[in-house]
Amino acid sequence: MDRSLISRLIVILVVVVAASVWAYPPKDKIKLGLDLRGGMHMVLQVETDDAIRAETDNVMNGLQRDLEEADIIDAVVERSGDSSFEVTGVPADRDNFIEDDLLDRYYVGWTMRRLGDRLQIELSDQEAKNIRELAVNQARETIRNRVDAFGVAEPIIHREGLGSDRIVVQLPGVDDPDRIRNLIKNTAFLEFRLTKANTSAFASEQQALDAIRGADESQHEVMREDLRDENQVIVGQQFWAVEKRRVITGRDLKTARLTNGDFNEPEVGFYLTSEGGKKFGDVTANSIGRGLAIVLDGTVISAPVIRARITDQGVIQGQYTVQQVQDLVTVLRSGALPAGLTNLEERSVGPTLGRDSILKGQKAGMIGFALVIVTMLVVYKLSGLIAVLALMLNVVLVFGVLSMFNATLTLPGIAGIVLTIGMAVDANVLIFERIREELRSGRTVKSAVVAGFGKALSSIVDANATTMIAAIFLFMFGTGPIRGFAVTLSVGILASLFTAVFVGRWVFDFQTSRRSRIDKLSI
Amino acid sequence: MQFLTDSHIDFMKYRKVFIWVSILLLVVACAELFFLTGLNLGIDFAGGTQLTLRLRDSGSPEELRRTFENAGMREAQIQRYGDGDSEFLIKTPVVGGSEEGSGTAMIDALNADFNSDAAGRLDLNQRGADAVASLLYEADPDSRVGVDEVAARTEYATVAAAVLERRKTLTIFNSWDQLDNVEGLSDAALTTLKDKAFFGAFHVLQNENVGPQIGSELRTKGVLAVVLSFFGMLLYIWFRFELRFGIGALVAVVHDFMITLGLFALLNFEFNLSTIAAFLTLVGYSVNDSVVIFDRVRENMRRFKRRPLLEVINLSLNQTLSRTILTSGTTLLVLISLFTLGGEVIRGFAFVLMIGVVIGTYSSIFVASPFALAWEKYFGRETRAQRKEKA
Repeated sequence: MDRSLISRLIVILVVVVAASVWAYPPKDKIKLGLDLRGGMHMVLQVETDDAIRAETDNVMNGLQRDLEEADIIDAVVERSGDSSFEVTGVPADRDNFIEDDLLDRYYVGWTMRRLGDRLQIELSDQEAKNIRELAVNQARETIRNRVDAFGVAEPIIHREGLGSDRIVVQLPGVDDPDRIRNLIKNTAFLEFRLTKANTSAFASEQQALDAIRGADESQHEVMREDLRDENQVIVGQQFWAVEKRRVITGRDLKTARLTNGDFNEPEVGFYLTSEGGKKFGDVTANSIGRGLAIVLDGTVISAPVIRARITDQGVIQGQYTVQQVQDLVTVLRSGALPAGLTNLEERSVGPTLGRDSILKGQKAGMIGFALVIVTMLVVYKLSGLIAVLALMLNVVLVFGVLSMFNATLTLPGIAGIVLTIGMAVDANVLIFERIREELRSGRTVKSAVVAGFGKALSSIVDANATTMIAAIFLFMFGTGPIRGFAVTLSVGILASLFTAVFVGRWVFDFQTSRRSRIDKLSI
Repeated sequence: MQFLTDSHIDFMKYRKVFIWVSILLLVVACAELFFLTGLNLGIDFAGGTQLTLRLRDSGSPEELRRTFENAGMREAQIQRYGDGDSEFLIKTPVVGGSEEGSGTAMIDALNADFNSDAAGRLDLNQRGADAVASLLYEADPDSRVGVDEVAARTEYATVAAAVLERRKTLTIFNSWDQLDNVEGLSDAALTTLKDKAFFGAFHVLQNENVGPQIGSELRTKGVLAVVLSFFGMLLYIWFRFELRFGIGALVAVVHDFMITLGLFALLNFEFNLSTIAAFLTLVGYSVNDSVVIFDRVRENMRRFKRRPLLEVINLSLNQTLSRTILTSGTTLLVLISLFTLGGEVIRGFAFVLMIGVVIGTYSSIFVASPFALAWEKYFGRETRAQRKEKA
């Protein structure tokens, strides 16, 4: 063997060994996509308008309090839009005080304008953008915390793109998509509100509405409570007239945990921050005998009567199972979502379907492979063996590269591999046909091989380049499983170039090098 | 085995006939696509919700249809899925622009109808390992919680995982015998399960929802990917060869694409994301076939400078014929294997490529080359030069 043959053999061996090491055993080395291993894929949109409204609410509440403290007692704060509100009843000579001492100091990003007898206060666009940005990041963190608490292996949680309001969540191996969905999407907005003095639960919404009609209308609203039997099935509803003002919210919570009640029923125990505890203590001390509605995401969970002043801790009781309490504790601990989430896309696949797909894909691949091998051997005889060898190497290389780049194998990806088996022989066919032609035109074996490879090369490159172009566009515009197809297809094409041109050439050269004159080639 | 060596088929002789055949096929395909049934868009592009169900006992689409109609979901489409009569695919369109879809409503309707005997028991065919673990922990059949709470939690979690692993191999439980010999499942625990759990009538194999927003984005991306790949091909061939070949290959690929799409619509296959992948591969394959022939034409043009283009093309087609047939043949073999054995999801994908390979092979011979020739005749440099000469 001459030197060029040896050095090329070394290159081939190194590549093949490296690919085999990377790919073996494929069961552990190849990462399967959600469509094959089962799991859940979600695209969630963060409704950032919620966060803007919540911020406006906070500023309105804060400013109302500040105005009271500054003895501007006639001031009435009213919402005028998602990110704006109006204040009436402020004497014009206090404008500067409000602007300089309140807004600029405590409410950064809010601007004020006087329109006749009203002050219009608006959130600046820049600040609104910041709030939206923050809301998406906070939502992502909250989702991550909840998923981590749930114990999903290898979760992927990321924003769809820079500045996007979408979050992509991928959870492999999830077997209870319903529970995960509720856990993630639960805004977990916990609030405590006093019920209207001297009222208890109403049987119908109308009765509750009647109760708040009149002078108190702007301060109160009606909220629903679902009544459940011991199996958690909703059996009825009742309604509460509650104050719009929130005593404390989930933000005042330091932590929460699962506790057991008097009859060993599961409850949520919570602990308040010192500031929250002070607020809670002040209100409960003044409201003994009134109901305290515990509201989660706009629905009353329960409304126990306040028996004594409560400061730093308490429990939430409801008709819950242990699992539900655990989930509630998880969401309370991870904090409220800053905004609601809309499920734009959701795909959950059970593990059985994926297993089935793999088996079928394997079977189809093997049979297809066998058919191609037989064809090549029949058409090209012994040289067909070279093509078969090239094909086998091709498959090993594809798996090796997939594992090396940590790429994900999907169901269309399997189809891509099977397809490249059919297409990879193309390079071999082009070469073999060319060699045959050269032999027919009377060349010696050696020069026919050289000419065959040389002339076929440009066709091979052109032909594969067009398929690569298609694969690249697929990768650019495709999502999830389709990208997996683009990856296996392009890796398969590149691998076939290597196996057919480089490895195939080596075998021919090796054959023709052993004897100086070889006059027959089995092709 | 050597076949078709030294063939001398005059492909170009009948080019006008084949052009008319192609035009006819194209007209039929376009009529089908734009005026008749059109494409059957799957939820990936149309938006909507799709459930794949496995029933515990065999069932009929009519039975399921009744359930959904009673629940007010009249637009639910129900079809059998896979082999056998226990798997079904149910599709509902987007309702009222809602992003969130009707997956939950569909499952609720099924539960109300098929699992009305649940009576608060846990559905072993629907719930996950955590729920089973929680149930066992609360009931504590092996009296472990009193001994060591933390250890008991892990032990019951392991048992629950083993139960779910068993379901994974069976897809769905239908009798308690199937829980025999589950590792770690004691008789007491089995009794607890029998008492507090049951085998629901269905198992959700797959639950997919695509909101209208994502649907329209995927549509745009799909169209963009196809159009851009056409341009990419044109540019590549233009760069590597000449414009007339680029045009020839492009006409051939549009021809293959439209005819395959028309046939796809005619047979009412569902057009979804993996179909787009198949169509893009078809684009690559179709051009690939034309390119190999053009490559030969280019080579022969250099060798036989004095021969007219028509003869050169004919010669090149004959020289590449055995390659064309062999490559198409092997690709078809694996596609047939994918189509018949690859399972439901792959079937549409393989179908597109099967048709595409056949039509692509035909068009690379009878469409791409004649077009390059026609382009030459009407717009080519030589003709212009000849016209000048005449003038």
